[in-house]
This record gives sequence, C-alpha cells and structure tokens, in this order.
Amino acid sequence: MINEEKENSAGNIENGSSKLNQDNKKFQETINVKSVVPKYRQELLKWNGWGYKDCRFEVNAGDVTSISLTGNRYPIAGKNLPHFEGWVKNTFNVDLVNPTLSQALPEEDKYPKTLLIAEELVRIVRLNIPYSLRGVDRMLRAHGQTLHDIFTLRNGMFERIPDIVLWPTCHEEVEKIVELANELNIAILVFGGGTAVSGAVECPVNERRTIISLDTSQMNKILWVDEANLVACIESGIIGQDLERELKALGYTTGHEPDSYEFSSLGGWVATRASGMKKNIYGNIEDLLVHVKMVTSKGVLEKNCQVPRLSCGPDFNHIVLGSEGSLGVITEVILKIRPLPKCTRYGSIVFPNFESGVQTMRQVAKWRCQPASIRLMDNEQFKFGMILKPDAGLIGSLIDILKKLYLTKIKGFEFDKLCVMTLLFEGDEKQVKEQEKRVYDIAGEFGGFPAGETNGERGYMLTFVIAYLRDIALEYRIVAESFETSVPWDRAISLCANVKQRIAQECRDLSIRHFLISCRVTQTYDAGCVIYFYFAFNHGDVSDPVATHHQIESRARDEIIACGGSISHHHGVGKLRTKWYPQTVSEVGVSLYNATKNELDPKIYLRRII
Amino acid sequence: MNLNDYEDILEPRRFDLSHFFWCSKKLNSVIAYKQNIKPTPSLLKEAVLNDPKIQKFLEEISREKRIPKDFLDAQVRLILDEIGYQKNLKIIRLLGLVLVKICLKVCEGIFVNHNSISHIKSVMGSCPVIFVPSHRSYADFILMSLICFTYDIEIPAIAAGMDFHGMWAMGSILRDTGAFFMRRSYNNDTLYWTTFKQYVYQLVTKGDLPIEFFIEGTRSRSNKSMMPKYGLLNMILKPLFLRQVPDIIFVPINISYEKIMEEKLFSFELLGVPKPKESTSAFFKSLSIIKENYGSIHMTFGKPLCSKQFFGEYLDTSRRSTGPIHEQELTERDKSMIPSLSHEIIYIQQKMTTLYVMNLIALLTNHNLTKDEELLSYDELKEKILWLKMILEKFDANIWSTDIDSDIKKAFEVHKNIIHLTGNRKIDIVKDHVNLANIDITKLKGYHLSEKVMTQSVPFVMLYIYINPILHCIVDAALIVIILKMYANSTSDSIFQRYHFLRNLFLYDFVTYYTRIPLDFQKAVNICTNFKLIQINSDGKYNLCENQQNLVEIFISSIEPFLYSYFTTLQILETYNRCDEKRILVEVQEKIVFEMEHKFIHPYSLNLDSIAHCLSSLVLSASIKRVRGDNGVAYEIDRTKVSMVKNTLEPYILKPHLGKTIHNNVLRNKL
Repeated sequence: MINEEKENSAGNIENGSSKLNQDNKKFQETINVKSVVPKYRQELLKWNGWGYKDCRFEVNAGDVTSISLTGNRYPIAGKNLPHFEGWVKNTFNVDLVNPTLSQALPEEDKYPKTLLIAEELVRIVRLNIPYSLRGVDRMLRAHGQTLHDIFTLRNGMFERIPDIVLWPTCHEEVEKIVELANELNIAILVFGGGTAVSGAVECPVNERRTIISLDTSQMNKILWVDEANLVACIESGIIGQDLERELKALGYTTGHEPDSYEFSSLGGWVATRASGMKKNIYGNIEDLLVHVKMVTSKGVLEKNCQVPRLSCGPDFNHIVLGSEGSLGVITEVILKIRPLPKCTRYGSIVFPNFESGVQTMRQVAKWRCQPASIRLMDNEQFKFGMILKPDAGLIGSLIDILKKLYLTKIKGFEFDKLCVMTLLFEGDEKQVKEQEKRVYDIAGEFGGFPAGETNGERGYMLTFVIAYLRDIALEYRIVAESFETSVPWDRAISLCANVKQRIAQECRDLSIRHFLISCRVTQTYDAGCVIYFYFAFNHGDVSDPVATHHQIESRARDEIIACGGSISHHHGVGKLRTKWYPQTVSEVGVSLYNATKNELDPKIYLRRII
Repeated sequence: MNLNDYEDILEPRRFDLSHFFWCSKKLNSVIAYKQNIKPTPSLLKEAVLNDPKIQKFLEEISREKRIPKDFLDAQVRLILDEIGYQKNLKIIRLLGLVLVKICLKVCEGIFVNHNSISHIKSVMGSCPVIFVPSHRSYADFILMSLICFTYDIEIPAIAAGMDFHGMWAMGSILRDTGAFFMRRSYNNDTLYWTTFKQYVYQLVTKGDLPIEFFIEGTRSRSNKSMMPKYGLLNMILKPLFLRQVPDIIFVPINISYEKIMEEKLFSFELLGVPKPKESTSAFFKSLSIIKENYGSIHMTFGKPLCSKQFFGEYLDTSRRSTGPIHEQELTERDKSMIPSLSHEIIYIQQKMTTLYVMNLIALLTNHNLTKDEELLSYDELKEKILWLKMILEKFDANIWSTDIDSDIKKAFEVHKNIIHLTGNRKIDIVKDHVNLANIDITKLKGYHLSEKVMTQSVPFVMLYIYINPILHCIVDAALIVIILKMYANSTSDSIFQRYHFLRNLFLYDFVTYYTRIPLDFQKAVNICTNFKLIQINSDGKYNLCENQQNLVEIFISSIEPFLYSYFTTLQILETYNRCDEKRILVEVQEKIVFEMEHKFIHPYSLNLDSIAHCLSSLVLSASIKRVRGDNGVAYEIDRTKVSMVKNTLEPYILKPHLGKTIHNNVLRNKL
C-alpha cells in the first residue's frame, strides 16, 4: 500500500498545499521495518570483526599470491588486487604467510557467568520482553569496534559482560525496563548498532550489580512519515541502511550517511552526535533532529511540540545529543527527511600537495559551495587507495602508467607529494553542473585539476571497504585504528604534520619500525574542518600491541589537543577519551554534566562519561 | 678526549690535484625540514609581507598615522631586503675554494667529530634544525658554512649582525651564502622588529634550511662562554609553542681555536679600547693573518637536542586553542621555560670545549709569574703540563694532545707573540710586542690607561684569553678550595652556602644555571675528595689536604683577578647612591691601576667584561638597579646590600699579594 502511494507523492512536494493534507494522512501508518541485520547478529555479521561474515579479504596462496574481497556486496568483491601484497611488504615488512587466526567462537560454558539472581530474572521475565541469557548474545553486546574490542574477541575474553540481553520493541517497554532497573538496582548499558569506537559499551569491570544490555535493534519501526513538514518519526533502533532503504521507497532520504551507516543505529547517532558524509547538504544529526524522546529514571524527557526551532531556555535536545547512553535511553526520534536528489555525480581532483588541497577546501568552505561531500586524502592514503585497485588488465595498466607519466612529467607533480580530493555532488542537473564548475575553478587556482568521476566513485566505495582491512591486518600482525578530530582552518595543516611527526617519534621511541600514519580531511565547515587519521603498525615483537597502540594514540590525542584540535568530532568521549573531557569542557562543565547525571540518573544505572 | 672521534677535513684537500674540482662537486645536501612547497628566499619574503599579522599591523599604522598603505608595504619590502638571505651556489663554491686555500695555509687542521655529523644528518628532514655554535671569532661563521659544504648539509641561514651588512661587498657575499641580518636590539623600530620576527617565524615554519645563530649574541672577547641571549631564541621557539612545527632540534656546537684570530683585538677591547668598525678594508688588512700559523681548530657537534622532549609535558598543557593562530604570542610562562634550554645549550657547548696544550701552558705560566718564583724551565713546564693534564681530565676537560714535546713546540710556535723561551730556556711572556700606535686614547671606554700600564697589561690579558677556556672545568673546585683556605674545618653545608654565594656573584663570568649549581657543587666536592685535594674528617668537616699545595695555588690564582675586579667594583659602588656606568668603569680601573703601583695586582683585573658582569650580577640580586641615565646606562645603588656583598667577598681577597710586582718583573727581564 505504501509503495503505491509513493508514486503519487514522489517529486510532488512543491505542488501546493492542497495535496499536503492528503499526503500527510496516507503515511500515518507505521512501517514495520524488516532489518537486514537479524536479531541474532552473528547469523549475518562477524562475531569477531567488522561487517558481513561473507565479506573479508582473502589471501589465496598459490603460485602467485592473490588477494581479493570475498562475497558480492561491494563493487571490488571477487577481483584480484595485484598491488596489495607489495604494498604491505613495503609498508609493514609483512609477508602474507602464516596468518594468526582468531580463536573459534567460544563454547557456551566459556563466557563469564551471569550475575543475575533468580529474583531479578523472575521480575524481568514478567516484563514479557524478549531476553537472552546465552553467553554469546551477552558477549556480542559487551563491545564496539575498537582495536581493543576486536583483539579481545580474537584472542581472549572480556572480563565483564552483560548479564542479560533485553530486546524491547517500543518506547513503553523501555520505560518498563528502566523502571524495573530503578526498583531492583540494576545497571543498564544501551546497545545499538555495535559500531562504537569509544569504548562506551564496555562493561565496567568493577560493576558488581547486574547489568542489562538493552538492545534497541528490535525497536526499529518508522512510526510515521509527515510529508507536509518533511519529517519522520522513527524508533531509535533502526540502522542506517534499513532507514535509507525504506525512505528511498517513499522517495525520501535523511541524507545522514556516516561511514558506519550500514550497521550503526539512529539512537547511536543521536547519542554520539554523529556526522554524515553528506552533512554539507543535509546537516549533521543535530541539524536533522527535530524531536527526541529519552527515557530517564526520572521519566521521559521530551518537548511538547514538533517545531523547527524554539526559544525556550537551554535546548534540552543538546542534553540528549552526545549523552552517549549516560543520561537515558533514546527511544524515538523525529528526523528531517528530504526528497531524493535527481542527480548524483562523483568527481575527483589531483593536487600537487596536501597544502594546496587544504587551501582549496578552505576556499570552497569560505564561499559555501561545498558539494554533498568533499574529502581530501593525503599522499599516503592516496597510495594506500591504489592497493585496492583491481587488476586492470594490460590496457588498463598501460593507461595507469600513462596517467602517472602525465602527472609527474607533464604536470610536474611529485608522486610522493600529490593528493587526491574526492567529491560527491547532489541536486538537480543544473545545480550539480554549477557546483562542479565552482569547485573545479577554485581547485584550479591552487594547482589542482580534475581526475575523473571513476576515481571519485571508487574513493567513496572504498570508505565502506576499508573497514574490512583491519581484520586481515590483524591476521598478519598489524594493528590498526582510526581516530578523528576537528580543528580550525588556520591550524589544520600544522596539526596534520605534527600528529604524523609525533606518531613517528613515538614509534621510534618504542622501536616500531614499520608503521603507517596517514590522514584525510573529511568535512569542511565555515570555521574549520575534520581530520581523520589512520594509524597502523607491524607489532612484531611488541608484547602488548593493543596497549602500545593505545599509548601511541593517546599521545597523538595530546598532540591534537595541543595543536588546537578537539577531543572528537563525532566518535564521542566514551571510555577511551574521558581523560581529555575536563580540559575540553572546563571544571564548571564537568560539574554541570555531573549535576545533570545526578538529576536524571542519580543511582548511576547508566554508564557515565566522567 | 678520544682523538679518533675527529677527522681533519683539510686532510683530503692536501692531496687534491685541484681544489676547484672539489668545490664543483655535485651537491646532494641534506635539508633540515622537508616542505611540501619548496621555499625560496623571495617566496619567504613575500609570505612575510602577506602574512595577516603584518598586514593588519600595517593597516593599523596606516590609519593611525595617515600614511598610505602602499608606502608601508614598500617600507616592509625594504626591511625584508635588508634582512633576507639569498642563496647563490656559485658564490658558495667560490668561497669554498678560497677558504680551503686559506685554511690549508694557516691551519694545521680543522678537526670535526664526524660521527656526530652523520648522526645529525640522519635525524634531519622532519622539523627545523638549529645549529648553535659557540662564538669566539668571526671565523665561526665561515667555518660552519665550510663544514656544511664539506659534509653535504644545506648551508644554513645564519643570523648575522648588521655590522657586516655595512661592509662593502662582504655584506652581499655573506647574504649570498645564507646570512640574514639582524639589527641590534636597542633599536626600537616596531615596524622593523615586527617584520624581523615574522621573517624568523616564516623561516622556521616554512623554510627548509637549517638555521644558525649564536646564542651568546656576540663574540665572547674573553674566550669563555657568556650568558645566553633570549631574544632570537624566543623568536625561533615561538612556532613550537604555537604548535606550528612538529619539533625543533637544536645542535649545540663548540668551536675551539688553538689561536684566536682576534686575540690582540680582544685583549685591547677587554681593557677598554673600542672595537673598530667592521669594514672591508679592515678585512683585507686582516688578511695579513694568512702569514700566520693558527694551529688547529676543533669543531665538536653535540647530540641533537629535541626541544619538544626538553620541554616535555609543558608543551602539551599549554592552552592556546582559541583565537587566530597568527595573533598568538609567547606567554610569560612560555618565556620563563626558555632560559633553561638556552643554558642547557651553553652548558653543552662548554663541556665540548677542546683545550690545547697552550691553555695549560698559559695557566701554569700565569701562576708562575704571579708567584715570586723563578721562571719555569722547559723541563719543569713539561712535567707540570703532564701533571695538569691528568688533573684537568679528571674534571672532564677534553685536551687535544698527541705527542707532548711536539705539542709544546707547536704551542710556542703558534703563540710566539705571547710566550717565549728566554735565552736560558725559561718560559716567559712576550712583553715588548705591544703596538699602541693605532690606539686613540680619547676613545677608551674606561679609565685612560697610560701607555705604561697598557704595555704591562696586554700580555697578561692575552695570556688570560687562553686561561679562560679552562675555567669552566675548574671554577667549582677553585671556589671550594678558596673557601676552605679561608674557612678551614667547614661542613659541607657551610661550604655550599659560601659556594652558592660566590657562584651566583660570578654568574656572568662563569656562566651556569641556578638548577645546576647544587649538582655542580656535589660533583666538584666528589672529584676533589677523590683526588685528595680536600678531605673529610671523621666529624664530617672538610679541610684542604696538605700535599696538594701547588694545585691549590694554581686553582686560586686562576680566579684571583676576577675576585679582585669584583671586589674593587663593590668598593666603588659602595660610595655612591647612583652612578653612571661609564663612571663606574673608569673609577674601578683607576683604583686598580693605583693599587698596581704599590703591589702586584693581576692586570686582568682591569678587564671591563668582569666589571660589567659584576654589575649584571648585582642587578640580578637586586643589590643595584639598572636605570636609564643622562649619559646612557646608570645604576641606583642599594648601599647596604652592596656592602653586605662586599663584606662577604672580602675574606677571599688574599693579602698580602703573593705575586711579584710588575715592576720587579719588568726590571728583572731588562737585566
């Protein structure tokens, strides 16, 4: 029924108000979304790594080693990646032999025992909300996607995991859970898509109370879509790809597309102040969010209206945004939606060096002519992108050689300095054309020139594929992690240079000889930009690679902050970055947070930021 | 010192068929800080002019003073042209050729600890690198560039004084080899200084050359380290504190000369004859130097000092994340961190000093001449040199010596204008070598020293130029010894208390940093004890040992002139509430000259450096206050405090003086 109506409404947004009421009514019905990810996540997703089980980089040792991505979910899947092995050897001094394999999924009796006592279980069962006491379910909700998490999954076991998993299916059930937790003095950890990279969902080792993992994944309905106001009310457990698929069917998009959007959930986005790739057009989560419900132990925090803006004291939406599951459980969110763009086009630009790329981005931001997405990869990342280039065949290789010659010989670019910017344009045909012209003109002023659509598209596709690399890296004794920050424009270049240098220095001090540090600028704002760092090293003889990695990353964060960067742009504080929280928000800020925490969650049933 | 650590860069050149070939070698120089955008001298200047900070500043002046902005832009361009370095490879090669030819002629060798250089080269490339050589001679400039050329390091951008800028042709040659020029700091031109600071900022953040500057600010006339200056260092470090560079590496370098080209000039200057203006003709005159033999030169490159590591966590905690980066300045707290770094550099420079046999001869001869003893015979001297060498090495001195006889022979040859063997093979100083013809008595900075006094004094002052480089090794021990001589049977605490007083009083003559004073004291006590120079009794009290009388005397004699200068200065200060600096200098020298008539006073006591240092140290301890007077600098004197200092110092002024009076000495030699 919904699909039929889509045909009527698509593209008719501007057709006057007479139709609006009608449209409005038609979408009042709830969409029960069938999620791609099943309730028992491990049926589809890796239990000890990133993403789909059927997608992983595979080394086929034969006469000639070949590497490819398995499955058929991503465009490069199944294709031989001939540059992979050499690059790994050069960068990390690693031969793709003798992989260190992960342990098998532990037997049921190997998980930490649940601390749940019979009385509590009785009460919980009486809620009539689906639950699980199985070790595997509990363990899979005890972690996110940090290096530490994955390393532990592959090689060990978490010391503390939730004692029970609950799958509420609606706001009211969450209220019941929170109420019961209040009554029985039980802690709650909210679990969404499981993609946290801040350590937020890890159980505090010293928590002796029962811990409920509140899994929001079954609370994923689109409650209603309001076309007149272009908003939709959605339950917090929905994951990005489900949401976009359903809205697309109606002719809409939220336009919110974080790199993790295949798996991350709406509640998670709100809780961490997430940022999407296309925020230039659609805005970040805080721009998209119109209304939100959060269940706290004092009751539900929400506003009485669904207005575009309101002047009414401090905006409590911002208590919810970034609360990281520490103040309440986010259950329902009203998000803005937009009609699907008519035209989507990719693009790319080559620059002689990183500086000219950043200058271009600054100008683009200054004139506010950003396309949906504009990203700049540094030289290391550009080269790194090359390894994911499938075998191009003879002609293709020849063309590649010619391209390289053109760049270095004719354009005078140095291969070890050049950088690539990838672009994504959205709008109608005319808008896209105008945008393209402006961006390419500005780039031209700084010595950049267009390098084609294919390169751009590949760049964005790789965003999703790169996440799979860490699993194969771990197999060959390379630990890898990314971290991000935001920084004012005038400090961006020095921040990148200093962080790279700091990491190189820390590696030298720890006798780590084979490492990669690379960065890219992923977002632009009027007042600054976002920088994403990738750091990996061959841990060889390092006794505790995770702790070592953590130590280096921590120094890098010190450096970032000293260089004027932030604690995080969109990953959040979690448990990994609490150290820098007080200096970031001031002592008064800390007490303000604590006061809020004391008000909404006085007995600390939820985790805390600081 | 380990002789094998050094190689003579002239050695391969001696066998060259043509130096021209060497000078035209293919350069594959290591740069300090790889930049994505290769800087050029003109790009750097352009960037300075276009910097938002400069532009904003110019707009402000333009508005306030109603001067057209274009005119100001042009002014800044002019200033930048005056400051900015150039790079002309042809000139560099040509200079290399000329230098090698000159050096081969006048030097026995230029010795460099080459392994250190390799190490330095290996860490270059990822952040600014600053070479910080000691400054004892104009030759420092040229030698540094020659070394860089030899070892394939990009010739540094060198901070040079404006004196050179005025020299015809020389200015531009130096500029072409990388010199950038800095006016003297008493100049108050804000436009100039804003531009200069920005130029340095640009050089550090966007330049790729190493930067070279002299932390002492000027050549040390006395051949020992001077208090570091912070101005340029602050400018260089600013980008680090602002996090505009990943790190800054400092390379302390010591350049030791067996014979200093300017020794005579310096001796005169120390006595008050003003420094002649730098001119090209004077330079050509000085080329007569190529007839002389300057012996060996040692250039010791220290371990690279990473300033980030040096400042440690402080750098991470500085809070300057708001506001435009180009408007940030160093905070007072930042500035208070910087002296420790500059002192560390000076300390390392001192520790790396190379001593020659001549320095030992100078110390021994001076002691001999100031005691009423027979002149030393050659054999006595040789024996004493070996003995002293052994002792100084205990105090971490690096002494360049291969074969003692040939070393002594060479010392007498190289320094034939200072010391000689008399007819009966006794060692004496050369006294009638002093040419006063060119001295304009009216321009003397201090007291009008008579020709007689000058003639008597210059040889001793020249001798001291070669004693001074030793003093940093032995001053701690010398102070402990003199304290124990006056206050036998002292506890460690009471010695330290007195030592602390003296060390602080002499802070500018024997440069150190306050954090180091307790450490150096303990170290010196340990060495002296081990060496049986002092001993500790069962009751924990220290005394001098009986059997080291000779060494005790040598140590004491080495610091006596300083004690006397300071004491006299304090005596003069005591009589005023306020006094011009010039007048103090005159009166102190006058008083010393008067005393010299009656008894032996070491003529080095007359040196103006020590008097000025005494004043600086009293300023530091707030005993006097430096103010601007009608005739330049003046001092307001806290007489009570000055008297206290004087009284504390007085016991160490040895009476009656043991030395021979100059009159006797002169007489005897005439006989």
